[in-house]
Amino acid sequence: MPPEARRVDGWIGFGVLLVAGVSVPLLTRDSYHLDVATVILRNLLLTMSLRYVMSTGQLNMAHVSFMGIAAYASALLVTRAGWSFWAALAVAPLLAALAAVPMGRVALRVSGPYYFLISFAFLEVLRLVFNNFFVDYLGGPSGLVEIPPPHPLLLTGGAVTFIGKLAQYWLMLVLFLASAAVLIRLECSRFGLVNGAIRQSELLAETLGVNVPRYKLGAFVLGAFFAGVAGVFFAHSQRVLHSSDFGLEPMVLLVVFTVIGGAGSVWGPVVGTLVLAVASELLRELHHYELLVYGLVLMVVMLCFPDGLVALPGRVARRFGWGRAKDGASTLGAGVAP
Amino acid sequence: MPIELLIQALLNGFGLAVVYILVALGLTLIFSILEVINFAHGEFYMLGGFAAYYLSAVGGLNYVATLVLAMLLVGLAGVVAERLVFRHLRGKTLNAFIVSLGLLWVLQATAQLSFGVLDKSVPSAVSGIVRLGGVIVSRERMFVILTAVALIVGLYLFLKFTRIGQAMRAVAQDAEAAALQGVNIELTSALGFGLGCALAGAAGALLAPIFAVSPTMGALPVVKAFIIIIVGGMGSLPGAVLGGLLLGAVEGVGTLFMSSAAVNILGFLMVIAILLLRPRGLLGAA
Repeated sequence: MPPEARRVDGWIGFGVLLVAGVSVPLLTRDSYHLDVATVILRNLLLTMSLRYVMSTGQLNMAHVSFMGIAAYASALLVTRAGWSFWAALAVAPLLAALAAVPMGRVALRVSGPYYFLISFAFLEVLRLVFNNFFVDYLGGPSGLVEIPPPHPLLLTGGAVTFIGKLAQYWLMLVLFLASAAVLIRLECSRFGLVNGAIRQSELLAETLGVNVPRYKLGAFVLGAFFAGVAGVFFAHSQRVLHSSDFGLEPMVLLVVFTVIGGAGSVWGPVVGTLVLAVASELLRELHHYELLVYGLVLMVVMLCFPDGLVALPGRVARRFGWGRAKDGASTLGAGVAP
Repeated sequence: MPIELLIQALLNGFGLAVVYILVALGLTLIFSILEVINFAHGEFYMLGGFAAYYLSAVGGLNYVATLVLAMLLVGLAGVVAERLVFRHLRGKTLNAFIVSLGLLWVLQATAQLSFGVLDKSVPSAVSGIVRLGGVIVSRERMFVILTAVALIVGLYLFLKFTRIGQAMRAVAQDAEAAALQGVNIELTSALGFGLGCALAGAAGALLAPIFAVSPTMGALPVVKAFIIIIVGGMGSLPGAVLGGLLLGAVEGVGTLFMSSAAVNILGFLMVIAILLLRPRGLLGAA
């Protein structure tokens, strides 16, 4: 697809997200529904940014750790240094991105299986640090508690407060849409095209003069920044942080959301996160079996449709000879146009 | 520092490490044959623990029979996992890794639903302690260490001298060339995966009387096993032994100076250092 057409597709998709996001509070004021919708938006931000890192072909298992770094940083800046939430929101994601620079440099020295194992090592080290070190500051095993909600925003027309589910939903929606706009715009830019080229063939991209390590580091750091945005919101909406919020289980959940939708397309994580969120609400009685079901679905999707749900319509079309023929893209994210 | 204290610390470190080496050997064997990283490997360790619980604590079997049967059962589970899942993913490392994350949840949730979440204890086969100068070792630990060493030696002899063991090494070196020489790749992969899982199961059964048995008991050993095989070199069996002894020494001595969380971090720092200085590991192939 030519870049212009991708851009049009991108903005149409963004428009759909915008309309859907704004219409939720018009449809329901139920605090449970708003809560679910807020969590979905936060997960969307995390999975879209995770997929952005994956767009260079790297599965970063430490993605939630960057969320954690920003969450703890923001909580400490507000509770200890007396900063306003808004200043922390501006700074904490930058700190996560800053932490990602040396970690990315280390991780990107290796590739393939070593890459996700070293990023998993980062995840575990940071989780152990959150849980066992600087207990006076980070709260240790009992967690970091008493984090205040976002401070009122003083505008010319008066103060806007952020207490209550509805206000928090709006805040998360604004954060999400702003981040999604950047991620979608990047996807249609030269940057996104080059990332796709690296994913499809790193060697070929390199021979065409692409500075592969720099692009990979760029995606890694940018992903960390957006994970940090989600982390700041997480800290001040949950108002308590535990190290387990940033461990293997939430990380795998993000991988499940992203991969089931399809990591090859910018819409994959959106589809995956929404489908699984709706499914888990419908199957609430089966809560006991949640991990079992998620695990099974992940295995089946990866074995039968490794390009995820977004690639399914095209696959069905090709099967009946409607679309153009394409050799089966069997490795993750290879050759699916956004 | 008195020398006995140091020896005691090293022995404590090695005592656990030798069992983690079993888990790591299975993991690295599977990686070398199928080129997949099985993150659910710890769940086979967990299955070994439960097999030991049901066979010895509930079924009243003796220790040797329990160990052998546990290895067979877990090995069988491994063969099934290979046939149903991993054989489709040979060489697709990233996809296989993600699938193994799914398998981890499936096995853990299944264990929780069928065995319950409460810790279960398995009676010890031997009791008492052995004094060697100023160093004290429980007979049980001694027994575990000796059994694990025997299994490691047995694995070495199996891979070196039996026909099927040689086939496994041939597939690990070059699957296509092995196939051209008439090696049955499918059978070899299934048995190799089963053998790898059986080793994890043996480790779980060996440690069952020492630690409690629970559905989440696989999380720690699989992490240790990953540290061991990265340090030793992925796909290298001697590397796994060396990496395991190194980790045991570092952790054993580390506990003298720092908290257990800091000791856990030490292992990861080893991984990061190795990957930076020598990414293929100490004994990994170039």
